[in-house]
Amino acid sequence: MSGNGRLPAAATPVRRILTLGGHEFSSRPPDRAVCELLLRLARERGGERPRICILPTASGDTSEQIASFYAAFGERSCEPSDISLFRLGRRPVALRDHLLSQDLVYVGGGSMVNLLAVWEAHDIASILSVAWRQGIVLAGQSAGAMCWFEAGITKSSGKPRAAAGLAMLSGSLCVHYNNEPERRAAYLAAVADGMPSGYGLDDYAGLLWEGEGTPSALTARRGARAYRVSSQAGKATESPLPARFLPAPAPAALREDIAEFRRIRTMRKRAGWLG
Amino acid sequence: METTPRQIVAFGGGGFSMESGNPLLDDYVLGLCKAERPRACFLPSASGDADHYIVRFYRAFSAHRCEPSHISLFRREQGPTDLRRHLLSQDLIYVGGGSVVSLLGVWRAHGIDSILREAWEAGVVLCGLSAGSLCWFEEAVSNFHGDAKRVRGLGLLPFSNCVHYERGGKRQSDYIRFLREGLSGGYAAEDGAALHFVGEELSRVVASRPEARGYRLDMAERRVVEMQIATTYLGDAGAMPAAPVPEALSTPAPSAAG
Repeated sequence: MSGNGRLPAAATPVRRILTLGGHEFSSRPPDRAVCELLLRLARERGGERPRICILPTASGDTSEQIASFYAAFGERSCEPSDISLFRLGRRPVALRDHLLSQDLVYVGGGSMVNLLAVWEAHDIASILSVAWRQGIVLAGQSAGAMCWFEAGITKSSGKPRAAAGLAMLSGSLCVHYNNEPERRAAYLAAVADGMPSGYGLDDYAGLLWEGEGTPSALTARRGARAYRVSSQAGKATESPLPARFLPAPAPAALREDIAEFRRIRTMRKRAGWLG
Repeated sequence: METTPRQIVAFGGGGFSMESGNPLLDDYVLGLCKAERPRACFLPSASGDADHYIVRFYRAFSAHRCEPSHISLFRREQGPTDLRRHLLSQDLIYVGGGSVVSLLGVWRAHGIDSILREAWEAGVVLCGLSAGSLCWFEEAVSNFHGDAKRVRGLGLLPFSNCVHYERGGKRQSDYIRFLREGLSGGYAAEDGAALHFVGEELSRVVASRPEARGYRLDMAERRVVEMQIATTYLGDAGAMPAAPVPEALSTPAPSAAG
């Protein structure tokens, strides 16, 4: 408490972005680990019941992507929502108010070029930049991870090629590093050719950016790696980063089983008392 | 050398997207193509390339009456790699409904805007409903989301455009307000009505419903004048096929709307 009786000035919120090389919202262990991380980051800002919003723009707002997001978060302690820019006609949303009231905004994968084009048309990027400065966690995978950087390697036009991002994070990013050799090769060539140096992320590897400085690498699957990619004497080099392993929590079904067991145990006890 | 006219058919609303079981507008645009089995390409970009919409297109434009295709800009790894070549080889390009703002954003990102102008100039018939109508004009009155907005379109047609028009409704009052604020004059079409342009001139208004109409709206001495345009109902015997010849604008029922 400061001496003059006024409340201390609120600390500047830490800007956080989580970029993931690739994952799904499934019930498989590494996907559950990613969901758990997203929930944890959201709770660090929003408490026990954080607000989490998906922007599925890069997919063209497919109902598949939206449904899998709700399947992953619907039963958890949080308030999930989605903004479908292609469905605003049927489901209007006050874009700015809604986004700035979130604890975490998650950007799904798809076409990076379309993502940025549609965001520009709806002026979403400037809102997300404000959100970031306010400490709202920004997260995403694939196109939804590369969009925050100066540049990425997109397959939006079929073949992998360089595309400019929002440049909120400096440097570049290439996703699906282990799974798409074509994309990786295009990235290495681009970095050797002058693209800002950056990172390669395997599926289930991630980088968490908190405040200024270097990101911490995370992995939700054994063997999934994050690489620092830079250019030396006109040649791109990759060096793997030490990464923290994220264990998968018990699956939802198991959690339900445990809850069911507890209910039965309670009922038995009561029955015992009554009987 | 024979020159092919530039043609755009802008639906206020209708066709397979909105009028299941009423193929009149879709038949009309296919009828404008000279080819026996026209090549018809669907651009569902305004819907985010929704799968169910693409399926409905293929159902309506089945292979026995045309050579259908589509371009999904969200899944470029599938479909034609050379967008320009594919689009310029079509007889008909059919643009679906959805968000006109998103549509134009995605098109620009893939260079579709300039390809469509080229296609139009080469005689490929361009058509579409809702967002797929608004996009061809200089400026659009978009009611897609929240308050009505003025949206700059591709500008192939030097007019403003309003779709799903309803006299006495919000669309009309918004359009009139924008005209007073300096929007250039243009055309409105009700659901079921389609504005057929040859070159930059309105050739005729056709309709898939007997009561559907198109309108011309202009400022005249600080007043907005709305004129109903004589409309050909395509369900009447003999209404088909279309004659792509510019006709004089007929305005049988002029009415001052403000």
